[in-house]
Amino acid sequence: MSTAPPIETVGLSKTYGRSTEALVDLDLVVRAGEVFGYLGPNGAGKSTTIRLLVGLIHPSAGRAALLGHDIRRDGVMSRRDVGYLPGDLRLADRLTGRQQLDSLARLRGGVDEALRDSLCARLDVDLERPIRQLSKGNRQKIGLVQAFMHRPQLVILDEPTGGLDPLLQAEVRSLLRETAEDGRTAFVSSHSLDEVQHVADRVGIIRSGRLIDVDAVETLRDRSLRHVTVTFADAADPAMLAAIPDVDVVEVTGRVVRLTCPETRMDAVVRRAAERPISDFVSQPADLEEIFLAMYREGAGGD
Amino acid sequence: MATELFRRGLRDHRRALLGWCVGIAGYIALVASIFPSIESSPELNELIESYPDVLKSLFGIAEGGDLTSGAGYLDVELFSFMLPLLILVLAIGSGARTFAGEEDAGRLELVLAYPIQRRTAVLAKGAALGAEVLAACLVGMATLLVLEPVVGLELSTANVVSAFLGVGALAIFYGWLALAIGATYPSRGLAIGLAAATAAADYLVAGLHELAGWLDPFRFLSPFWLIGSSPLQAGSDLSGVAIVLGAAIVVLILGATLVERRDLESP
Repeated sequence: MSTAPPIETVGLSKTYGRSTEALVDLDLVVRAGEVFGYLGPNGAGKSTTIRLLVGLIHPSAGRAALLGHDIRRDGVMSRRDVGYLPGDLRLADRLTGRQQLDSLARLRGGVDEALRDSLCARLDVDLERPIRQLSKGNRQKIGLVQAFMHRPQLVILDEPTGGLDPLLQAEVRSLLRETAEDGRTAFVSSHSLDEVQHVADRVGIIRSGRLIDVDAVETLRDRSLRHVTVTFADAADPAMLAAIPDVDVVEVTGRVVRLTCPETRMDAVVRRAAERPISDFVSQPADLEEIFLAMYREGAGGD
Repeated sequence: MATELFRRGLRDHRRALLGWCVGIAGYIALVASIFPSIESSPELNELIESYPDVLKSLFGIAEGGDLTSGAGYLDVELFSFMLPLLILVLAIGSGARTFAGEEDAGRLELVLAYPIQRRTAVLAKGAALGAEVLAACLVGMATLLVLEPVVGLELSTANVVSAFLGVGALAIFYGWLALAIGATYPSRGLAIGLAAATAAADYLVAGLHELAGWLDPFRFLSPFWLIGSSPLQAGSDLSGVAIVLGAAIVVLILGATLVERRDLESP
């Protein structure tokens, strides 16, 4: 195996028409043995990047290489040791899961059958029914199996956990971790920081076609915002929560206090709230746009 | 690897192909079974002789052709219009569906991200289409050869083979044209429409070039003209068949080249 990085892009850009900039000047190096989270809101350019990497669309400028092979000059070689799961997976409706996987295995020129069978068992794939009868989640499982079944050096997954229940989402996360522990590499796009932060080593954040940040996931966690709803058993006292640094009380209605705080302040919020009897406590992740807005307010720049 | 795309191409279309084969065999059997009552009506020749020249040349009724002979009858009823139409519709539909149709449905997204060259995919799908046309032609030929002694058509076997060779070459040309258009521009509708319109125009040129003088120089561009008319009476023009197949190969290679340049549509 070469020592070339699994993914390397230099000035990679994609412009549609004259002015629609789907991806601008992407410089990115993904290291061997890591799970790289590629994070951005819908329409930010995540799928554009991925479709460029696997050769479905061609760059307007710049270049990229997978496992040391240039995606334009050496497309087939660059994809040889790669597993890919499209963001919007469409399979052959009439085939059963087994027929579909067999067909894809032949298309690849052979796969590790023992590995495929164990993946199918692990994800509990329905192999015997025609694909058109399967739910979105069950189709997605077939998509995941085909991405991993040849033990690729690099897996590129576009929003892999869409349509999967939490148990299977956890299974996918452990698949990704095992891939990385094996010295192989995973590149995973997501629009949810929560989904990525528990599995990724590093996270790249993309917005409006521009990579705005690449961070270790711990750094990002500091920025991760939570929406907290505290329902007190008696009268609410928002002032004592608002006194905690970085906590933003959004709304108070009767005994219910809604606030926003970074994950790092969660411990303080819980302790302070628990000084009074409470009847409910709900914490939810804020979506990515809100985190971006918070980042920009901090003075990180913006438009 | 690429052979899997050939297999899948055939498998995905097998029901449609089966339907077409049954239809083609049924139509041939129907036309052939009417022959005995035509044969016993020699006045038909006089009627046809009185048709305007436009009609005669459009339907490939050759000067001096004998409608009461098996070959003359089938040349007009089968090979001048209906049989090429059926096999062409099969081929153009299949050619448009196998790439542009699959792309429209979003199913190429996964397949073309595999370590496969796009041009290889186009060629493999073209080969599958060729096999479909071959199957349809073999079924038609077998039907005709089985019925020939039963109905007393008195056909030359060599001419039957040559006639189906001509129709097969036409179907492969327009089928690959539809495939190549779909590979170049991602629209199944455009692939069907352009290929069908080209076929219709070529058919008219072949039929009417003698009557409309300004069309005459263009007759060399019409595959219908190149393979010749009245194939059961005179055999197809084999050098014309070779030219049509050569042009088909050029069209397919062009499609396989142009597909590399463009972006695949997202599903």
